[in-house]
Amino acid sequence: MSGDILVLEGVRKHFPVNSLRRHGKFVHAMDDISFSLRSGEVLAIVGESGSGKTTTANVISRIYRQTEGSVVFEGRELSGKMTRTEELKYHKRVQMIFQDPFGALNPTRTIGRIMERPFVIHRIAEDRKAVSEKVDSTLTQVGLEPPDQFKRKFPHELSGGQRQRVNIARAFAVEPDLILADEPTSMLDVSNRMSIMNMMLSLKESHGVSFIYITHDLAGARYMSDRIIVMYAGMIMEIGPAEEIITNSFHPYTKLLKSAAPAPETGLKRKPLITGGDIPSLIDPPNGCRFHPRCPFAKEVCSLEIPPMKKIGDDHYARCVL
Amino acid sequence: MFRDVFSLFIENRKALIGLIILAFFSIVAIFAPLIAPYDPKTNKVEVLSIVEEEIGRTKTVEREEIDEFTEKRVYTQSITTTYEKVTTKLPLNAKPSRNHLLGTTRAGQDLFSQMVYGTRITLAVGLITGLFTTLLALTLALVAGYFGGIVDDIISLFTNVFLVIPSLPLMIVIAAYITVKGVIPIVLILGLTSWPWPTRILRSQVVSLKNRDFVRVSRILGERPLYIVFREILPNMISLVMASFFTSTMAAIMGEATLEFLGLGNVSVVSWGTILYWAQNSGALLSGAWWWFLPPGICIALIGTSFALMNFAIDEISNPKLRKR
Amino acid sequence: MNRQESEQLLQCRNLVAGYRIKSGFVHAVDDVSFDLERGGFLGIAGESGCGKSTLAFAIMRLLKDNATIENGSLFFNGTDLVGLREEEMKKIRWVDISMAFQSAMNALNPVLSIGEQLTDVIHAHGEVRQSEARDRAIEALKLVDIPRDRFNSYPHQLSGGMKQRVMIAMALILNPDLIIMDEPTTALDVVVQRTIIEKIQELRKSLGFSVIFITHDLSLLVEISDTLAIMYAGKIVEYGNSDELFNMPLHPYTIGLMNSFPSLTGKITRMGGIEGKPPDLLNPPEGCRFHPRCPHAMDICEKSCPALQKVDPRHSVACFLHKGAENL
Repeated sequence: MSGDILVLEGVRKHFPVNSLRRHGKFVHAMDDISFSLRSGEVLAIVGESGSGKTTTANVISRIYRQTEGSVVFEGRELSGKMTRTEELKYHKRVQMIFQDPFGALNPTRTIGRIMERPFVIHRIAEDRKAVSEKVDSTLTQVGLEPPDQFKRKFPHELSGGQRQRVNIARAFAVEPDLILADEPTSMLDVSNRMSIMNMMLSLKESHGVSFIYITHDLAGARYMSDRIIVMYAGMIMEIGPAEEIITNSFHPYTKLLKSAAPAPETGLKRKPLITGGDIPSLIDPPNGCRFHPRCPFAKEVCSLEIPPMKKIGDDHYARCVL
Repeated sequence: MFRDVFSLFIENRKALIGLIILAFFSIVAIFAPLIAPYDPKTNKVEVLSIVEEEIGRTKTVEREEIDEFTEKRVYTQSITTTYEKVTTKLPLNAKPSRNHLLGTTRAGQDLFSQMVYGTRITLAVGLITGLFTTLLALTLALVAGYFGGIVDDIISLFTNVFLVIPSLPLMIVIAAYITVKGVIPIVLILGLTSWPWPTRILRSQVVSLKNRDFVRVSRILGERPLYIVFREILPNMISLVMASFFTSTMAAIMGEATLEFLGLGNVSVVSWGTILYWAQNSGALLSGAWWWFLPPGICIALIGTSFALMNFAIDEISNPKLRKR
Repeated sequence: MNRQESEQLLQCRNLVAGYRIKSGFVHAVDDVSFDLERGGFLGIAGESGCGKSTLAFAIMRLLKDNATIENGSLFFNGTDLVGLREEEMKKIRWVDISMAFQSAMNALNPVLSIGEQLTDVIHAHGEVRQSEARDRAIEALKLVDIPRDRFNSYPHQLSGGMKQRVMIAMALILNPDLIIMDEPTTALDVVVQRTIIEKIQELRKSLGFSVIFITHDLSLLVEISDTLAIMYAGKIVEYGNSDELFNMPLHPYTIGLMNSFPSLTGKITRMGGIEGKPPDLLNPPEGCRFHPRCPHAMDICEKSCPALQKVDPRHSVACFLHKGAENL
């Protein structure tokens, strides 16, 4: 579809459990992941641990190569081997923001040096003066003013919120078309989260960037995104417009997520969870629908084959036999 | 950044003591000729002086006139010089005294001078071997750890095999068989038997750093692998590399002393190890000549301590939890 | 709170606690007072560095070497825990007051099976036969829905949620009157978190213990607690019945905090959050600790620190916007 900046088709990522043996057990981190991202939209991927959401981001950013399936970015399919020029071009267009603000910064370098790298690598600015000006303007854009004061500091001298601003500044520095944000606020203090989320939204507006926003927090996804993908145990369970997914959740897992989320308005009138249980092992995933062992509506067919994605409404699909 | 680490290091008391000891021995090694009163291998002191010089008469043998301005003359002259040579034999197996601060060996060599000159060999072998081992280990670790895959598999296999071979017996066997005896073979033997241990340690640090988010960010930004290895990973390993270096040097000093003590090095080179060798050979332990075997032993222990202290200091600096508040 | 003294399980009065470092004394808990009735659920909300963990450890008298309780009292069943001798405190600790720590991963001993760790707790607090201790441990595990065949499992063989439930079992095993929970569900997935919370509610109904629940997740706290205390920079800035606080937050920090949690219902509008960062407790700001970040700060806020004052029978706030200014 035109206007789609990124299309994933049947992407699978399996990690061998034992690195020396190629024919052993595998961790099924991603299975049959297919979705498209439209230009300028924010797509949230919601899931708990082991859902495969971070692996998806790692495949899109080419930290990992997919085991199977295709990733098409701006019309061109990403192949296993890319030349240095191709890689560099790709990295100028696709950037990532990580969860741990401190871990993403080299503790032995100053903020100034860290911020210089994207401009130098991608030849955005040629001489020292131009690079320095670019760094200053980027730091100002994320609210770290005066830039000179911050350029001299080391990561451990900044607060968590400030560090994440640096990470965001660094990702936006190359003027990418797509930014992957992997739980960018979960390690921040509560009072910082909103300003970081708002900043990402306004930078998205001003730079015209598409976003994939990964989170475990359904309410945060609703705040930030246009569309939501719900992932469970390496597979997509439901995908659709954000408001639709939340008000008309279809898949039992989506309903479970919704009922588990804190909702202070309900107070003590809350209903108990529809089911308990644990996330299955990805090394030996259950046959058929990955959610069926915990699903209160499971039928016999659910344990035999994986249900295909079914259209439920406008732009709204779910992987369920119901 | 490195200035910070350096000043932290100096401020730490353990590091300071270790550094002072090392500095002390280094100064002794560098200024050995000025400090040692005697030549370490000699057993006597010779003082040569001229008593008298008698110049005899000149006797012409031939005379020739070449031209108006030039004359050639051949003559002989005898000179008789009377020398006085005072040879003082150094006492044998003497206890420490004012002339001989650490006494003498059974062959009459001044032990203080031997210790002073021995510092040179001991320190040089230790530091050079330490440097060699650390650089080798670091290179292998960076290549294996960062590039992974089959390169890592091969290097790790190699490392693990060598790790299992006991290094001391290996050292002894190699040293016993080579024909060239000297300091350089010792350095090579020590270096080639002690690289596996630090390689393993440094490699696992490289691997864990490689998986840190900031390295991933660099890859996603498009940094070249060499840049990542040298500017992102290596600076975060400095304290481990330093600790490795200190440990390797310490092991090299011990190793060298051991090999020399067993007589597998060049026993005519003066080092603390060879002093111990000769002490053992000459039955110093039996005769109770404590001034012969105690000083080298104590000094080896002191140098070992200094490196151990500096190692502790590095531990404390890199692990803030160990620092005293 | 106009209740009988005997109904109050824990009364904290003007507690001051902190720790000594080279440059001075950090007042992590600065003049904190609250009440907890029998069977009640007190939620303490605050961000990192507000002193809530120090408060928890202070109540248990488990502060580490350079941390001390400087002042104030903690009346538990009438006895002041501050100043109690260690032998006396040992009789209370875990028997009457116990704790479930943050991140069970670190609190469980990795080389002992969970069954052993539970029986250890039992043996440490009295002479009990091995078989009886084992039975009680199995009972405790059953209470948190862990099957008996897991008795000999090691922590690394359990999922995050199960480990947390083991922690709760350990806290319950001697049937205490009060359990302090310090961020027990923070590291867990949202569904597991909800399961644990439901379990805690269920056990509270059947066993009747009181809970002090400490977390930064205000939206969760509003749901589950009876009483709520909002901590900022070592002080309680708002305190009262959770419904009232949620419907009518008074302190600018509370309002800002509530504005930091996007909701699942209602209109999606851009929300505010709070500017700035929490203060350094070694040198807190003069006057009201929140004034540098407060959108409504007045002159008086820079000069004096407001005290916690009642604005309603079940709602107190420490802010000059609402009360206290007239006294100065």
